[in-house]
Amino acid sequence: MRFFGFLLLGVWACSSAARADMPDHLRFPATGTQLLLWVASERGRAEPELLAAKQLAAQGVEAWSLDPTSAYFLPQLPSSMDDVPVRDMADWLRAAQASGKRVAAVAVARAAVPLLRAAASLEPVERQRLCVVLLYPNLYMTAEPLAAPDYLDLGTLAGLQVRVLQPRRSAATPWLPGLLDHLALHGATVSAAVLESLREGYWARETPTEFEVAESRRMDAMLLRELNAWGCK
Amino acid sequence: MKRLLMTCAMSLLLVAGAQAAGFEARASQPAPELKARDLSGAPRTLADYRGKVVLLNFWASWCPPCLREMPSMERLRVKMAGRPLTIVALDSAETPEEVKAYLSRMKLGFPILLDPDGSNTRRWKVFALPTTFLLDAEGRIRYVLTGPTEWDEGEALRVIESLLAELPARAR
Repeated sequence: MRFFGFLLLGVWACSSAARADMPDHLRFPATGTQLLLWVASERGRAEPELLAAKQLAAQGVEAWSLDPTSAYFLPQLPSSMDDVPVRDMADWLRAAQASGKRVAAVAVARAAVPLLRAAASLEPVERQRLCVVLLYPNLYMTAEPLAAPDYLDLGTLAGLQVRVLQPRRSAATPWLPGLLDHLALHGATVSAAVLESLREGYWARETPTEFEVAESRRMDAMLLRELNAWGCK
Repeated sequence: MKRLLMTCAMSLLLVAGAQAAGFEARASQPAPELKARDLSGAPRTLADYRGKVVLLNFWASWCPPCLREMPSMERLRVKMAGRPLTIVALDSAETPEEVKAYLSRMKLGFPILLDPDGSNTRRWKVFALPTTFLLDAEGRIRYVLTGPTEWDEGEALRVIESLLAELPARAR
């Protein structure tokens, strides 16, 4: 009898732990067949990101929004993203796939690192079912003037479909071909689109242009347009 | 001997000060090739500026810190008139129209070069804007600064003066 008591306690503890491993995130349910996972950048989640999630849900695309700095009490620094538990992120991706919907995960800036590492830790069949969109990803280990850039090791990305969305007005734009080569070297199938007349984090700029303000209100439309144009299945 | 010690002490102070302001000293590193066109379409290379200290600034019109430091570069140009210093601002990966639109609002007296395809940006391995290189009269890279500064005062001015001081007295 005592044995069964311990067994039940163990099962309860394990299921709690499994839930606790899922990063704390916001859900915007919808009845459609698509699920979009949004991973905010190291700068935290801004209001237009939540607005986009609500707008997507209103159009039938379920959205789960994760702010890693808030979920893990991390300082708002690029290096914090390297400390996000990869296993938690992988559990989050698996939970999304378990919904039975088509899953696309979007990561902003340095948040690309934990997302890609989590994708690398998935089983190949799970990875092949995932579409990843990276908004101006920062995958540098070091990037110093006059020296060739050094990229992070991400693990194997074989079978993963990755689309990079790069704002034109960014110091990283001239380096886009090298970044795509790096992702392809890890086995990902890569493509890219340049977002014209926009800067990195255009939805959270201190002095946005009129165009950036307008675009930050229609991020949902931009994401749907890019996902449809890409055709990741 | 006393003068030598004084010079050494001054050099140490300059290097320490320069690093405090974010200037990274380089051991006379050879410069990558610069191959760009100015606003009139004329081709420009570093050879055009040989014999002068060169402040080569990578910038873009969409970059707020770049625009913040531009007026101080213009003041530096005025302050250094007649001395062997050339300020060159290379716009990274924008169209001539975008650059001209900015220059219609901000009058600058130093040459602006264009790098519409970003090839110079890649050759010089520039990953953030603004990034500025200070070259000696031989065309070698002596200092690198990532981020903006006030060019006409403080450490920036002292670093530039130290490079000018290396030139023969009649050239300074």
